[in-house]
Amino acid sequence: MPNTIAVELRDVVKAFGSVVAVDNLSLSIPDGEFFSLLGPSGCGKTTTLRMIAGFEMPTSGEIDIAGEAQGYRPAHRRPVNTVFQHYALFPHMTVYDNVAFGLQMQKVDKSAIARRVAESLDLVQLNGMDKRRPKQLSGGQQQRVALARALINRPKVLLLDEPLGALDLKLRKEMQVELKTLQQEVGITFIYVTHDQEEALTMSDRIAVMDQGRVQQLGVPEDIYERPVSRFVADFIGETNFLHCMVMQTAPRGEVELAGGIRVPVSWIREGISPGSQALLSLRPEKINLFELSDTYPTGPDSAVVHGHVERLVYVGTDTHHTIKLDNGATVIARVQNFHVEEEPWEIGEEVIVQWDAAHARVFRE
Amino acid sequence: MEQTLRRNPALRAWLLIAPAGLFLLIFFILPLFIVIIYGFLERGTYGGVVWQFTAENFSRVFDSLYFSTFLRSLYIAVLTTLFCILVGYPLAYFMTSRPPRQRNLLLLLLMIPFWTNFLIRTYAWLTLLRTNTGLINVTLMNLGIIKEPLPLFGNDFAIVLGLVYGWLPVAVLPMYASLDRLDRSLVEAARDLYASGGQVFRRVIWPLSLPGVVAGSMLVFIPSLGAFVTPAILGGGKSLMIGNVISNQFLAAHDWPFGSALSTLMMVIMLFATLLYFRSTALKAKEERA
Ligand SMILES: Nc1ncnc2c1ncn2[C@@H]1O[C@H](COP(=O)(O)OP(=O)(O)OP(=O)(O)O)[C@@H](O)[C@H]1O
Ligand SMILES: [Mg+2]
Repeated sequence: MPNTIAVELRDVVKAFGSVVAVDNLSLSIPDGEFFSLLGPSGCGKTTTLRMIAGFEMPTSGEIDIAGEAQGYRPAHRRPVNTVFQHYALFPHMTVYDNVAFGLQMQKVDKSAIARRVAESLDLVQLNGMDKRRPKQLSGGQQQRVALARALINRPKVLLLDEPLGALDLKLRKEMQVELKTLQQEVGITFIYVTHDQEEALTMSDRIAVMDQGRVQQLGVPEDIYERPVSRFVADFIGETNFLHCMVMQTAPRGEVELAGGIRVPVSWIREGISPGSQALLSLRPEKINLFELSDTYPTGPDSAVVHGHVERLVYVGTDTHHTIKLDNGATVIARVQNFHVEEEPWEIGEEVIVQWDAAHARVFRE
Repeated sequence: MEQTLRRNPALRAWLLIAPAGLFLLIFFILPLFIVIIYGFLERGTYGGVVWQFTAENFSRVFDSLYFSTFLRSLYIAVLTTLFCILVGYPLAYFMTSRPPRQRNLLLLLLMIPFWTNFLIRTYAWLTLLRTNTGLINVTLMNLGIIKEPLPLFGNDFAIVLGLVYGWLPVAVLPMYASLDRLDRSLVEAARDLYASGGQVFRRVIWPLSLPGVVAGSMLVFIPSLGAFVTPAILGGGKSLMIGNVISNQFLAAHDWPFGSALSTLMMVIMLFATLLYFRSTALKAKEERA
């Protein structure tokens, strides 16, 4: 059944007193999707998730799960399960009882429970751990128990609130892959909360970037990274250079003027910015090419070219970050991949030609 | 001197506990031994003891008279503990569900009775409960609600009421502490896994707050079993609990050895109760670790 909607939020608002945690949120998440809510601390991700789970009731607006309006239905009557940030495993129960809990509450018969617990533990590779207590497990294992405990109920939707937040980097990366594989295996809709942009980019089918209770941009990972629609999204996802500019023309092709009267072509200007207004040009560091004065470099209507001097070099392994002082006074950082180990092509203070394609330059409001 | 101390951390530790240790030795352990030894001696005519070994005091303890008093004390102590938990647990639960500011206020309110002397507070109950002149009976009779005064005084009811009143705060505190420590996300997790309110309580909240309940029970049971002020005042002047029997042996009957024997037996029973408690909590801790 493609295209059926697992979760739908319509104009959902949640206010805690005078604090508006979630502000007019509308989302439509299809069945089987890995959907991420990404945003800085306090943007309302957890609150959104808790409203779907039924731990908080919206101040206004509606939430549908599997086509059914939830209204004020309490958490234990909703067809969703949650993986909590700190797992919230029951410390006084064994792994078996933790995982079996949901089925026991639904009065499933004992032999069926035993079979499904074994299956679930198998799914998360925890066979043979069923008699242990949560405290006797490592962080990663506890994480898996939390997953098994939720998935055993075969929920329509699994809600995950920063489930990898407590793990160290290496384990985190491993679990990212595992979670994604697992999601594809079971085919359950995942709604995943994170403030780690890399995690969201690598795992999600679609991402909603939130700020101050609102969705700033919603799209596939590539859209979010390559085609941010606001200064906030460009800044929050990955690294970016911002250059002050004045919009010269928006059609038929975009053009802006940087400080010092340098005109460069741009591929996209945010709607509603009219010629003559001040704006911000955003450019990812890896999209910048550096050329020596003697090199030939791309020219033409879609190529932006600015002269500058190398100010600083930071070697970070795969790349070297070049800080370039442009002749117009602005500074940009260019990431250049380290193909050759033997040569160090740039020296501090050396003159350099900074070039990028118009396709990579996007213009936002200041 | 300083040098020696610096080089010898064990000596330093011993010196630190010396004042407390000496105090306990002189004012606690020594008297304890005196009580135990007196239990095996013969009585002097006007109190005191005669240094002559006998086991008769301990066999007298099991006389039906004293033994039934003892059983009644046990019954009253168990009842008191039960009511303290029954009333105290919901109270503790309610307190932990309040915002932090209100919680502190409620804790303060809980402690206020301790600012007044226990004896005075027990006499206050006397003026409320007395059969013919007590405030409750007088009011009810004047209002014509009852014809005969209710038996509120001079019985087990009055003693249990007085003891519950006295020890309730002590029962609430450990239960409050263990409920307060309980991670609220566990409750949400249980809810999320389809548990109803009652199931959440039975499967998660109660088992996790049980150590607090056990601690609260111990703190109420032990002093209730040995109580003598409350039964003396609210029990209508008759010696109703084992605590009164013991105090009578010293103050009225001048039979110190028998009083000592009774005390020793009480201590043994309480020791067992405490051991049982530690075993149950140690077992739990071990289960969680194992
Ligand atoms: N129970 C509550 N009472 C009052 N304010 C709350 C409550 N829960 C959340 N808030 C407020 O709502 C806003 C959003 O909180 P939320 O927990 O949803 O953020 P978040 O995006 O999950 O942040 P984080 O990444 O730090 O977990 C915050 O300003 C927070 O202070
Ligand atoms: Mg959160």
